[in-house]
Amino acid sequence: MTTDTPRLRPPHHRVDPRAVRWWTTRSLITTVALAVVPVVPALIWEPVRPWFLVAAAVIAVAGLLVTFVMPQWRYRVHRWEVTDTAVYASSGWFWQEWRVAPMSRIQTVDTARGPLQRAFGLSSVTVTTASAAGPIEIAGLDHVLATRVADQLTETTQAVPGDAT
Amino acid sequence: MTTAQRPPTDHPLGDWQGLSPLSVWADTAVGALFIVPAAIVGTVVLIVLDLPWWALAPLPGALALIGGLTALDMTVLKAVSYRVTDERMEMRSGVLAKTYRSVPRERVRSVDVAAPVYARPFGLCIVTVGTGEQVGSESDQVKLQFVTAAQGERLRRELLYRDPPTAVGAEGADGAEGAADADGLELARLDRRWFAYAPATTATLGIGIGAVAALIGANAQSEGWIHRWISERTGLPGSAEIGAFVMARLLFVVPAALFGLLLSGTVVLVAVAVETWWDYRLTRESNGTVVMRRGLLNSQSLTIEGRRLNGVTLHEPLVLRAVGGADVRAVATGLGAADAEKTQAKSRLCPPMPRARARELAADLMRTPESPLDLPLTAHPRAALRRRLVRAGWASLAGFAVAAGLAWLHTLAAAAWWDAAHEIEERLNPLPVATHLVEAAPPWGWWLLGAAFAAVAFWYAVGSHRALGHGLHPRYLVVRQGMAVRDTVTLERSAVIGWRITRTPFQRRAGLAHVSATTASGKGMYTAADVGLGQGLAWAGLAVPDLLSQFLERDGGERPEDPRARG
Repeated sequence: MTTDTPRLRPPHHRVDPRAVRWWTTRSLITTVALAVVPVVPALIWEPVRPWFLVAAAVIAVAGLLVTFVMPQWRYRVHRWEVTDTAVYASSGWFWQEWRVAPMSRIQTVDTARGPLQRAFGLSSVTVTTASAAGPIEIAGLDHVLATRVADQLTETTQAVPGDAT
Repeated sequence: MTTAQRPPTDHPLGDWQGLSPLSVWADTAVGALFIVPAAIVGTVVLIVLDLPWWALAPLPGALALIGGLTALDMTVLKAVSYRVTDERMEMRSGVLAKTYRSVPRERVRSVDVAAPVYARPFGLCIVTVGTGEQVGSESDQVKLQFVTAAQGERLRRELLYRDPPTAVGAEGADGAEGAADADGLELARLDRRWFAYAPATTATLGIGIGAVAALIGANAQSEGWIHRWISERTGLPGSAEIGAFVMARLLFVVPAALFGLLLSGTVVLVAVAVETWWDYRLTRESNGTVVMRRGLLNSQSLTIEGRRLNGVTLHEPLVLRAVGGADVRAVATGLGAADAEKTQAKSRLCPPMPRARARELAADLMRTPESPLDLPLTAHPRAALRRRLVRAGWASLAGFAVAAGLAWLHTLAAAAWWDAAHEIEERLNPLPVATHLVEAAPPWGWWLLGAAFAAVAFWYAVGSHRALGHGLHPRYLVVRQGMAVRDTVTLERSAVIGWRITRTPFQRRAGLAHVSATTASGKGMYTAADVGLGQGLAWAGLAVPDLLSQFLERDGGERPEDPRARG
């Protein structure tokens, strides 16, 4: 194209720092749950015990590695921004994703909080458009802030004309 | 429904109507077609088994079953009613759990009228109304099964026809779309020569192989009984003799077998194409809707609202492309089916035809002075080629590893092993030549196979890089990709409802990205794969002004870098 190569600037806001602890806890729970699976037959059936224990150890080590690396990495990547005309969010860690949706095409705005997010006082904002590509999710916002963002989005969306398809 | 529900202030245009009472008879006839023969077979079997009293049961049972189903059908039928008012289409259904569905007419994107072969004698058809929503399951659709052909035709005409002043698209529809052409402009009509393209798929050989595999499978299931029975009746020579005969004349038998397989596949595929595309006509009506009619036994018509036809896909699978053919598919809202495969099948607008004709048809459908498909596309960077070559390299290595393993086993294999293999094959395959062929082949044959595989892998890599491209037309954006199936997609720039950019660690290192336009039409997302990050962002920024551009930074001449620089 031109000599003037555009770059994608990161969205303005980071998510709440508590999200790091949320992701760590979530990953830890998944790791424990997966590692326990081969332990059960190991306890019951003696001849294969060493094999299953090795499998459990491999899963545990891999899971702990992810738990150690992923949350910090995610925290650097996950960002969001709402302008007058669009929503812009980035997410992921190993695989990264940037999403943009114009206000005029937003169909619904929801906030959701699972039990784990609630424990950390966090909330997610989900922005749905008519596309099958899936909604834009801004996860790990402070609960109060998330509600405010959702309200603001709903308000702006209603002010902007368009039938959302 | 996603927009705010308006209070139903509309005046009823039509009264509540029911489905055609004939549908019950159509359903009964179909049911009887399956149940009665089954009952007759049951009766015969019971007589043969010498259970005369039991033999009296199946037929009356079947009749009672059919009667019961018919009665049930009647109740269900009575519960279904629909009406079309100025603003909405409403439908009531359900006997125990009543459902009421209401679709604003401005949300109706397509109307599909199908007359399956069993419904045609009754003059009935099924009407499916497509809306802009993503369909969760089949039951979410508004589907009338069955109404009379006249009712179906009326629904097809009226549902998509709205008076221009209705405040339909608040978003700026292009002026060109509003203007009506002469009524019923014909865009395409079946040319019987096009049937020649029908067998140009990889399935042609597959169908024959599938049939042979099914025969061998059935024979193996019966422990070779089928084959013994046939050879006893017809006086065929024994397996060993035929095997020896085949082995002695390989140069004749192999091509002949291939030819036979191809021929049978061709016959099947041409027959299917004739059934599907007979009487094919594609027209644009005066109100801008695009209508496709087709079908020999099962006739079908699909009507798409012109303004919702947001683009087309020029679809060129490998074999079809090799013989210069292509077909055109719609990128439209409201063609969604339960799964991606059905959506694909539903969006076909024409049979495989010569590429030039397909491009012409696509241009007619898009109504642009210069077709976006004629646009020279920008190639994707060499890094994208490198990624594909690396993948081909890994695949070749894996192929050679497998070849080496097999070659090693081959040299290792002793006579006893071969005997065991022949014995197993003889039990399964009435024509046991496969293991003999393998035994006769030299061990380096495996390496030859590995090399052939590697050559194909690299050819594929280069081809898929050459397929990549993206471009920008004043009204459309264009992306192309795919080696096995090459799809050139044009999408109206006004139909883009967002962008999605994804990068793997490898792409970040190579300065590449997948840049996808999200849309409510078609697949929901169309991707410029492995485009240079700067290149892709510039393209996306230009395609939809004021959307992505506000998040872009420009710095003269520098290489595109990871926007999330470390530190």
